[in-house]
Amino acid sequence: MQQVIGVLFNGLSLSSILLLTAVGLAITFGLMKVINMAHGEFIMMGAYTTFVVQQLFLSFAPGAFDLSYLVALVAAFAFTFLFGCVLEKLVISRLYGRVVDSLLATAGISIILQQAARSIFGERGVNVTAPSWLSGGISLGGVTFSYNRLFIIMLAVLSLVLVVLIMRKTKFGLQMRAVMQNRDMARCMGINSRRIDMLTFGIGSGLAGLAGCSVALLGSVDSTVGQLYIVDSFMAVVLGGVGNLVGTVFGSSIIGFSSIGIETGLSSADIAKCLVLLIIIVFLQFKPQGLFAGRTRQLDE
Amino acid sequence: MLELKGLESYYGESRVVNGVDLSVADGNIVCLIGRNGVGKSTLLKSIMGLVRSKGTISFDGQEIMKMPTYNRTRLGIGYVPQGREIFPQMTVQENLELGMRAIHGKAKLPDYIYELFPVLPKFAKRKGGDLSGGQQQQLAIARALACEPRLLILDEPTEGIQPSIIQDIGVAIRRINAEKGVTVLMVEQYLEFVLDISQYLYVMEKGEIVLEGETAKLDVDKIQRIMTE
Repeated sequence: MQQVIGVLFNGLSLSSILLLTAVGLAITFGLMKVINMAHGEFIMMGAYTTFVVQQLFLSFAPGAFDLSYLVALVAAFAFTFLFGCVLEKLVISRLYGRVVDSLLATAGISIILQQAARSIFGERGVNVTAPSWLSGGISLGGVTFSYNRLFIIMLAVLSLVLVVLIMRKTKFGLQMRAVMQNRDMARCMGINSRRIDMLTFGIGSGLAGLAGCSVALLGSVDSTVGQLYIVDSFMAVVLGGVGNLVGTVFGSSIIGFSSIGIETGLSSADIAKCLVLLIIIVFLQFKPQGLFAGRTRQLDE
Repeated sequence: MLELKGLESYYGESRVVNGVDLSVADGNIVCLIGRNGVGKSTLLKSIMGLVRSKGTISFDGQEIMKMPTYNRTRLGIGYVPQGREIFPQMTVQENLELGMRAIHGKAKLPDYIYELFPVLPKFAKRKGGDLSGGQQQQLAIARALACEPRLLILDEPTEGIQPSIIQDIGVAIRRINAEKGVTVLMVEQYLEFVLDISQYLYVMEKGEIVLEGETAKLDVDKIQRIMTE
């Protein structure tokens, strides 16, 4: 029983990280139809931002170190958001409708970013220290729920809720839905579609930055940390049904829980990964559009 | 108000409009007719900046050929496309508010729009895609009016719509023109409707204007021959 709860808890926290990454992808890939191969590197940038912010705190304000992680969350989102906006403006916006070209371009950017990280931070991974309020955990019935995993789950849920609120309740969300449903008509309504594209891509990237922040809590950060999660996240989006937020939640959960579950059962992460991939391949043979194949590709439906 | 000179428009690689001169005088209802596939819709899309084109387009004396679509709307050109193209997953209310919020930053629709189309407030919370064709057409016109245009461009507003609603739409277009002073440029196939509503008429064939003049003075038989031959 204890083991089952432990597995479920770990599955939930992995699902949350996948969800954070996948929501960003659901926006850039699902809504904008851009396959951004550098999305994983935004995770890495978020993780390194966390590290840098902590180092700055250690140098300049060691007394306030416990605040560093909160500042890092904001900084990681802001940095990856801005970087996403710049990338959209300079590269992606010139390649809309040319899927293969944008895939190649972003794959190139992914390599550049990884190498840049190696040049700046070195080959070896760096470690982020969890603030004191996230170390430890609560024990219930013999199972320990660590605070940092609980925090990640909360962060994922909060981000998801925020994204839904932005999409449904704000002027920006309304314009974003209009542009994604019918770009030409949105422009005929006086909507600056170029600006909306840029900000939408920025938000998707910023969410990956947040995912990076949470990944940094769980292990050491190196230049390939994004690659660990990006494949699973793409699978989560495809499995759930491209362009569908509910589907993305289910896709992330299925992959998260089954990875941890199979891993525990077989005590081998590699075989677990193979099995999960196999299951997804078979599933997509029968339902190529994913779990929640919408009539329309609508993120908020 | 609107002046096209030597307009050429491209649909992909092929040229669909071959050097058209067309002008719409302030306060008029002007119609452009012609058979299927002669380039009428593409011409309207050029005015909105939705297809690649050459030549000059001036609106109120201002050259707008290089201007992005959303700024043309902000200048005062409203567009009701063929097939309505309302946002199907948005509510009627959201469809209507889009333009106003983007252009004027407010969400209060001018009262006259609901008065023109009394069916719309009843469906405010419904999805645009759930409306009937005629209701969608009314929504598309209302949506364009919400942007407070001085020139309203309509692409086949009567297409696939039952006769009673065609009449309603005709009345609405006339009232917008007469009471709000909105100039109208309309592409249409339904000849009777056109002859009844327009003051000036252009007839298009294979990407060129082959006949134009004040509607009242044009030879109806000749137009009919062009349309049907």
